[in-house]
Amino acid sequence: MAVITGDGAVTTPNKASDTPRSDQAVSPPARRKLTWREKLRRDRTMIIMTMPALILTLVFAYVPMFGAVTAFQRYSIYDGFWYSAWTGLENFTRLMTDPIFWSAFENTLVISAVQLVLYFPVPIILALMLNSIMSSKIRSFVQSIVYLPHFFSWVLVVTIFQEMLGGAGALNMFLRQHGWATWDIMTNPETFKYLVTAQAVWKEAGWGVIVFLAALAAIEPTLYEAASADGAGRWRRMWHITLPGMRGVIMLMLVLRLGNALTVGFEQMLIQRNAVGRDAAEVLDTFAYYYGVVNNNFSYGAAAGLFKGVLSLILILAANKLAHAFGEDGLYRK
Amino acid sequence: MRFGLSTSRRSAGRRPERPIWEEPPTLAGQAGKILTIGFVLAVVIVPLYSVIITSFSTQESINIAGGMVIVPHGLTTAAYEQIFSNQLILHSMWVSLWITVIGTSISMVVTVMCAYGLSRSGTFGHRTILMTFIVTMFFSGGLIPSFLLVAALDGYGRYWSLILPSAISVFNILVMRAFFSNTAQELIEAARMDGAGDWRILWSIVLPTSKPVLAVIGLFYGVGYWNSFFNALLYLPDNGMWPMQMVIYTYTLQGSSMPGTGISNTGQYAGHQVIASLSIQMAVVTLTLIPIMVVYPFVQKHFTKGMLTGAIKG
Amino acid sequence: MTESSDSVVSRRHILTLLAAGAAMAAGGGMLAACGKRKDSDSGTTSQDKLKEILPAFVPNTSIKADIPSVTGANGAMSDPCFLKYPSSPVRTVTGAVGSGGSYVGMTPLWGAIPPSSGNAYYEAVNQAIGATLKMQPADGNTYDTQLPPLFAADKLPDWLQIPGWWASKLSLGQGVSKFTDLTPFLSGDKIKKYPNLAAIPQVAWACGVWNGKLYGIPCYSSAATFTGAIFYRKDIFAKKGINPAIKSIDELFNLGQALTDANAGVWAFDDLWTYLADPFGIPYKWAEQDGKIIHKYETEAMLEALAWQQKVVKAGLMHPDAVAGNTQNAKQRFWSGKVVISGDGTGSWNGDDWKSGTAANSDYFRQAFDPFTASGSGTPALTLGNAAGLFSYLSGKLSQEQVEECLAIANYLAAPYGSAEWLVANFGTEGVDYTMTDGNPVLTEQGNKEVATTFQFLASPSSATTVTSGAVDVAKAYAEWQAKAVKAAYKPLFYGMNITEPAQYGSIDQPVEDMLKDVRYGRKTLDDFKAVVVTWRTQGGDELRKVHEQVREENGTGQ
Repeated sequence: MAVITGDGAVTTPNKASDTPRSDQAVSPPARRKLTWREKLRRDRTMIIMTMPALILTLVFAYVPMFGAVTAFQRYSIYDGFWYSAWTGLENFTRLMTDPIFWSAFENTLVISAVQLVLYFPVPIILALMLNSIMSSKIRSFVQSIVYLPHFFSWVLVVTIFQEMLGGAGALNMFLRQHGWATWDIMTNPETFKYLVTAQAVWKEAGWGVIVFLAALAAIEPTLYEAASADGAGRWRRMWHITLPGMRGVIMLMLVLRLGNALTVGFEQMLIQRNAVGRDAAEVLDTFAYYYGVVNNNFSYGAAAGLFKGVLSLILILAANKLAHAFGEDGLYRK
Repeated sequence: MRFGLSTSRRSAGRRPERPIWEEPPTLAGQAGKILTIGFVLAVVIVPLYSVIITSFSTQESINIAGGMVIVPHGLTTAAYEQIFSNQLILHSMWVSLWITVIGTSISMVVTVMCAYGLSRSGTFGHRTILMTFIVTMFFSGGLIPSFLLVAALDGYGRYWSLILPSAISVFNILVMRAFFSNTAQELIEAARMDGAGDWRILWSIVLPTSKPVLAVIGLFYGVGYWNSFFNALLYLPDNGMWPMQMVIYTYTLQGSSMPGTGISNTGQYAGHQVIASLSIQMAVVTLTLIPIMVVYPFVQKHFTKGMLTGAIKG
Repeated sequence: MTESSDSVVSRRHILTLLAAGAAMAAGGGMLAACGKRKDSDSGTTSQDKLKEILPAFVPNTSIKADIPSVTGANGAMSDPCFLKYPSSPVRTVTGAVGSGGSYVGMTPLWGAIPPSSGNAYYEAVNQAIGATLKMQPADGNTYDTQLPPLFAADKLPDWLQIPGWWASKLSLGQGVSKFTDLTPFLSGDKIKKYPNLAAIPQVAWACGVWNGKLYGIPCYSSAATFTGAIFYRKDIFAKKGINPAIKSIDELFNLGQALTDANAGVWAFDDLWTYLADPFGIPYKWAEQDGKIIHKYETEAMLEALAWQQKVVKAGLMHPDAVAGNTQNAKQRFWSGKVVISGDGTGSWNGDDWKSGTAANSDYFRQAFDPFTASGSGTPALTLGNAAGLFSYLSGKLSQEQVEECLAIANYLAAPYGSAEWLVANFGTEGVDYTMTDGNPVLTEQGNKEVATTFQFLASPSSATTVTSGAVDVAKAYAEWQAKAVKAAYKPLFYGMNITEPAQYGSIDQPVEDMLKDVRYGRKTLDDFKAVVVTWRTQGGDELRKVHEQVREENGTGQ
């Protein structure tokens, strides 16, 4: 549990772990900087523990990454990676001058921003609300219902929205039969970003709750008890105990979300592209799909993917830096 | 810790009762909560009901509704019978079960170790290793290089190709690492003073206090393995080896025309029993939901509110 | 993560294809499919060369259809129609078929996968062909995703089906080098060794020709392949006393107004766009106008069709779900009567469709409008599609003897409807997988589990119209419509020709196609469309025109 001091520096109890432990006898009271050899010796168990995951990653994620060279080629599966024609930066220069790419880029950012504001807090609020239900039976029941839409495919989710809110859906049939104006949300390009956000909330918020519930479960009940004894009310307890207890996880999720800001519901967009048109629904992933995969231009799609990967990496590192600047952990403790 | 061990809680979770520190709810607060929860439940349950009832609907019901059914006109289990009449299905359930059990075990062991190994900042190579993982979240070489690799390692047509290439999720490692880092460091320090090594600290301090996150990550992995079929699609050419999701997935295509020829594939056969493809599709969705609905309550226990983390008890 | 998104890719891709389903049927997609090759040398096989390569055509005369095939215009021919399976099926294959070889066959399957072991149907076919053909049906939806890795890793099976509409995506012009060149085995009179293969028309073989060599064995060929048709609910028309003899697009619009009742949840039209091409005379891709080659984007007909569709959407005559681009429930809307007029592939007109439709309304009957022109004047014309869209290929690693054994097996599988072999290849053993009911083979419960379209995707005879689900009237109505349709058939420019389009222009169509959708649903105007076509011309459209003008000069237009 980090304690934040006034100047934003973080003092954590685990600083103590920096103490060399293999030879505790000589553990110096004043800490000196360790040489890398000493560190390696001290931490070798920790490093060994990361090895299985590291090896799996190196083999199954890094080895295939050489496929990214296709972004600099005119790739053909028959020529393979070695014999396809090299084109240098051609794919990238084409990408940078493609207005459709930039329009997709803009859409991605806009939809991502809307989702950050309107979607991101929902699972947290939902988790707090679930947590505040006293009856454990009701709580379990609600919990075991709300996550289920996560298992619906996007095709099904969009169909469900269409059946409820579409032009021939329940709501509009009701409006129409009462002689009222119909509400055209499913095919309106202007409000599309809110529609996809609503769909995302409906499908994923309940599942997103789970991580936050785990964070809540890790908070010591005794903290509440003590705070209550000190006269802290419901809201004060939430502010001073619950939220700080979840903060680490919330920040982690936020940083990861920012890292994925360029990824917004590929399948969701693809399904609804016809309903609202390209101008509203083209995002980076659909762009790479239509101009890469569909039109048999692997390399162009790979270039778009590589560009997106680099930007995403920059974004997540920036978000992480920002978190650190605010004295938060982000992806890792500073 | 600072507040000591003075927990006066009775055996946890016996009755739905308010913890002693909680004041009685206000009327407005309660009403607001009920309304919100009611709304949330309704928007999930109505479509869920519709999915399930459609899976049990006759073609007549579906035609009358013109799509998803709300008011049924005749129920039938024909869609399920059709799916379960497939001789591949039982074996595929076994395959799925084993893949899920073995895969989740491997993933959990690897993830727990890795998350613990990275849980202390300032350790040797800490940031480098973390970055090595983070980079893979954003870059991939694509389908073909992955396939070439698995084929080169002789994984084509073997079950391990369903597990190892997707055994670790960086997201899960990061989440678990964040929880581990928050484990009461006093306890860890105390153990270390007693001469405990990292393996013992992980086993007897970190893991027992981390049940919520273990449950959550285990759930994520389990669901991932159970529901994935893309690796099977790529790496297992023999239908007899397919996991269940792959087998039932093919049912959603039943009755659709082959693109290009306009030849309806079921139409090839005189008298081929035809079942509303929509009811089959919904039956497939329902079948996907069942295992998770069965497993979830057990998992949920580990992250319900007010659980004693066990750290205090030691 | 990559994996899952890739799966999504292909799933969506096929959904799009299913949606456009019939569009492809016309062989609309076929031209591109056969056409786009990366080879820089002689893109097109000239007509003379083609004549040299193509197998001879020897029609089967031993089986008489109940409604014989009708010869139409421009080489189109309706499929023979059988109302009952011939009571004493003739044998078309004599002597041993295979010689005990063992092969792995991979085919796409759109439907439930049958069990691979203990499958009586598989065993019956294998016994009949005297060889072991181990079938590995793969999910048809994602087939285009599964193939490239197999090519790249050289893990191809012995016998592989590749749907024509994925040929360009797979750059098959290059890919065929991995397969056996069948020219030495089948061209000209050599095919007479395999009489059932010889009964497949030459136009169907033509698209199996790559780089001047024959590679593909056509499956489910038909000389009556069309984009599809505009269907209406005959029962609802009859009930309302509406005359279905449409003479112009304006009459169709008026019908739409009469049939739409939004308050009751009934709309006249689904999205007819794909099926408006023939009434309006939008060319498949290229057309000749006053000797100049023009693209369909540049035609007046395209603008007229767009304007009409906009009018329909604006007047609220199209079902809102269709306006929202939902195609997967289109059949459901038609069956339920929430849509009265809908476009679909001709393959949807069968007994199973009838059975589904009659589940709620026993009068349900699907009927296609007779061909008409939008203007109401002139003679209707239907674009003739390529005669085959599915081809199977033999691995280049097979020895000559193995290739000959596989061809003998293909000959067995291509036995025509009405023969004894056809029953085995399609239904297995009588009494086990099927029984004869009312003169037609009907799958038993066991057959329902075991039989799927697998062997047929390696080789199959030319199509026949047959009775499914006992719906004799449906088969008759379809045969009747086909007989009219073939008379109106015309060959689009560059029919059945392989034309190399420079790869760099591969994606210039995409913005125009997107704009088309925007205009169709009224989000953009006709002027916006004209503007995007101007861009298209400068980005490569004019270059493509030159390519095609050159092809016309050197190799003709496939007429």
